[in-house]
Amino acid sequence: MHVPDGVIPLALQILMYGISLTALYVAVRRVNKRLSEKTVPYIGVLAAVVFAAQFVNFPVPPSSGHLVGSTMVAVMLGPWAGILVIALVLFVQAMYGDGGILTYGLNLFNMGVFSCLVGWALSLLFFKGLKKRMGEKTAVLVSTSMASYIVTVAAAFVLGLELQTVPGFGLAGLLAITSIHALIGVGEAILTFVILLYFVKARPQVISFLSDSEVRELANAVDAPWAEPST
Amino acid sequence: MERNEIVRFVIPVVVVVIAILSVVIFAGLASSNPDGFEWALFDFSGVPEPEGTFEGVWAFLGEGSVVEALTGAVGVIVVLVLGMIVFKALARKG
Repeated sequence: MHVPDGVIPLALQILMYGISLTALYVAVRRVNKRLSEKTVPYIGVLAAVVFAAQFVNFPVPPSSGHLVGSTMVAVMLGPWAGILVIALVLFVQAMYGDGGILTYGLNLFNMGVFSCLVGWALSLLFFKGLKKRMGEKTAVLVSTSMASYIVTVAAAFVLGLELQTVPGFGLAGLLAITSIHALIGVGEAILTFVILLYFVKARPQVISFLSDSEVRELANAVDAPWAEPST
Repeated sequence: MERNEIVRFVIPVVVVVIAILSVVIFAGLASSNPDGFEWALFDFSGVPEPEGTFEGVWAFLGEGSVVEALTGAVGVIVVLVLGMIVFKALARKG
């Protein structure tokens, strides 16, 4: 889903830079001083895992796909910290030539701002509905996986709308990019489940949805990143 | 930030991530098909792929499994360190 330079009209790139930089500013303001210093290593690891997972493509004939991870990081850290993590990952990828420099704003909007905010909101909605039926740990896994599937398809649809500015793409292209991501989304959901399962088992205290729950009481060494500073 | 936590959690996870990444690359398990975006745009819709754009800071190393695994491992560590620097600056102390 990484758009290279030289495809999108400049005006749209500038617009998307404006939107994404505004969202980044808001994210920094929202995250500032709310995270515990003790959670920093986990966030670093999470960013590294997302980078690695985006580095390789899994086959989805006739195409291929890779994990985006936006919904997963949004559920774990909250949507604003999630946007910052994805911004960081996409920046390094742009330096690697995966996704353009000029299209960084557009890529950040699609995979970061849009995907983190919508993914988080959908996951929360599903989580609240499921947690009484299957317990919090299972509910967070299922709800995040479901939301990550929907967000992958929705983000592809948004990208398809943006690509309507490219001559030759058209509505058939919009249908193609959305339908192929309906398959890629399955891989996204599976990878999200597997990676999140590790954190649920190993470090449940870093998952924001599991705050104020029985899991939080099990947290022994690390403060929850979303916790307000004690006064 | 607890140094023990870095030794007990961060380093093992990063080592495992780099190991998995390397195995996937060396074993040829990563798909060489165009990704969903590229397929929909360049293959399906027939939009010409842009040429002469920035190919990345490692382009001078060329291509190949070894280069890909090496640059991938470097990227993982760079993202880890950058993430820790950025979020440490934003975190509340204590």
